[in-house]
Amino acid sequence: MTNRLCYVCEGGDCTEKGSGDVFDRLRDLIKTFDPNQERIKIRRYPCFGACDQGINVTLYPDKVFYSQVTVEDLPAIAKHIQGEGPKVDALCGKVPPDVEQIIWDMLDSPY
Amino acid sequence: MSSVDLEAKIPNNVGLRDNKRLMMALEKWQPKFLDWWTTVGPVDFNQHNIYLRTAVGVGQGGWAHFDYVKMPDYRWGIFLAEGPADRKIHFGDSIGDKVWNEVPGEFRNRLRRLIVTQGDTEPASVEQQRLLGHCCPSLYDLRSLFQVNVEEGRHLWAMVYLLQTYFGADGRDEAEAMLERHSGDQDNPRILQAFNYPVTNWLDFFCFTAFMDRDGKYQLASLAESSFDPLARTTQFMLAEEAYHLQTGENGVGRIIKRTGELMAQGTDPRTVGALPLDIIQRYVHFWFTGSMDLFGGEDSTNAAESFASGLKGRYRESDGIYKDPKALNANYSLEVPTEDGKIERRDIPLRRAMNAVLLDAYIADCKRIVERWNRELEKLGVSERIALPNHKFHRYQGVYSGFKFNPAGELIDEATWTHNHTKWLPTQQDRDYVNSCMVKVTTPGKFANYIAPPQQGVNDKPIEFEYVKFH
Repeated sequence: MTNRLCYVCEGGDCTEKGSGDVFDRLRDLIKTFDPNQERIKIRRYPCFGACDQGINVTLYPDKVFYSQVTVEDLPAIAKHIQGEGPKVDALCGKVPPDVEQIIWDMLDSPY
Repeated sequence: MSSVDLEAKIPNNVGLRDNKRLMMALEKWQPKFLDWWTTVGPVDFNQHNIYLRTAVGVGQGGWAHFDYVKMPDYRWGIFLAEGPADRKIHFGDSIGDKVWNEVPGEFRNRLRRLIVTQGDTEPASVEQQRLLGHCCPSLYDLRSLFQVNVEEGRHLWAMVYLLQTYFGADGRDEAEAMLERHSGDQDNPRILQAFNYPVTNWLDFFCFTAFMDRDGKYQLASLAESSFDPLARTTQFMLAEEAYHLQTGENGVGRIIKRTGELMAQGTDPRTVGALPLDIIQRYVHFWFTGSMDLFGGEDSTNAAESFASGLKGRYRESDGIYKDPKALNANYSLEVPTEDGKIERRDIPLRRAMNAVLLDAYIADCKRIVERWNRELEKLGVSERIALPNHKFHRYQGVYSGFKFNPAGELIDEATWTHNHTKWLPTQQDRDYVNSCMVKVTTPGKFANYIAPPQQGVNDKPIEFEYVKFH
């Protein structure tokens, strides 16, 4: 089983913006090339704290922080996850670096 | 997994209709629960129509239904999250074995204690908050309070289901006792001390939901990893509801800070207009954050080690695979420990004994995130002051730092320094009196008390000025 993770924020603001739909559609796209979650696991995350920039989707341990994600962006994100496409630069770098770092600090376990 | 039965007297997806003995036991407990709700639950609002979310399922594509309901008519149900039928134990000594659908005899007492301790906090918080409705800052917030309350009630149902189903006569006795203990009761108080403090104003409430309920999230998340499958699935579903409670607190404190920041940016002293100054908010953050950390238990704990080894409690997001070793063997945790001669030394303890500390670290990282978020709002408003999270050693009554005095920066200090300064760090009676004096009741739709900014959006796509509570 892989330790690579895709987290979709389900904090209040992201949920209001439609993160539930984003999660469902991204999960379905990933299923087409990774039906048993052997290459990546997709999970909901309670809140990343970057609410103004939501909907937020992160890849870990890749440390890619996608923001202002819409359902139209999902095919490109899925291709990147699959290794068939580049990182979607237009969705990166929207969150202040210190906010991103807090999230990586939360996910990086020394154990 | 059984299908969802919403027509039953107790809505459920655990096949109650097929288990007459259990159904009878729960139906016998139900009127006692309702009596508890009307006796020590929210005061005076049981006849009003509240726009509430009710859990009606557990699958994808929506699990909740929104509508007006009188709180005593709320459909408290029993729901377990869906999961694979062949789930395996994924941490501890028995990794790879099939998860348990019955309670193993050797873990019976430990599991019961975990469930009772968790379950006791659910009704406790409802009791603590029972008077708050009388000084609500808006209809939006009044509804949020009651949403939190009814869902804490449902979480009690979830724990009582486990006790009644898997622990026989002992479990039935524990279920009764859940309704007999009361928050702050001198003779029969709630189990954890932090759940015996009254929550008398909305700064307390928002700090409680931001910090104490966040502790609950981490405790539930660690139980959601459990090898006892009914407990794991029950707590997984509770987490879905708990997320709203945390958001209520995080946004609530954030809205208070925002309003204070707006006034400061205009050059208005918040005290002159019934708003809350940042120094008072800071002291409340100190109080509730530190009290919440005490709920994690001792940093060095053989109990925690045994719970992990036996597969009862995992680490936060253990199943995501973010930890290097799912057995947590051959690794140490470096713990700062105060010494008799007034120094701090680092001591390595086996990682398994540090499971409470590991969970606490995840909690603290989450709290740092929310404080950063609040501070970004102040920055946007051009206000230079900030809210700060105190060091984890400050104001502790549990664990290795209890019995020692630390300042908020985490420096070991003597008793005299503490006595001289603690009123600068923790809420005073004067602070509490002032905060209580700001608690004006506002029930005009779309209007808010002057100490709190409106939320960014309403509930379930409704506008902010929606009539979330109908008094007629």
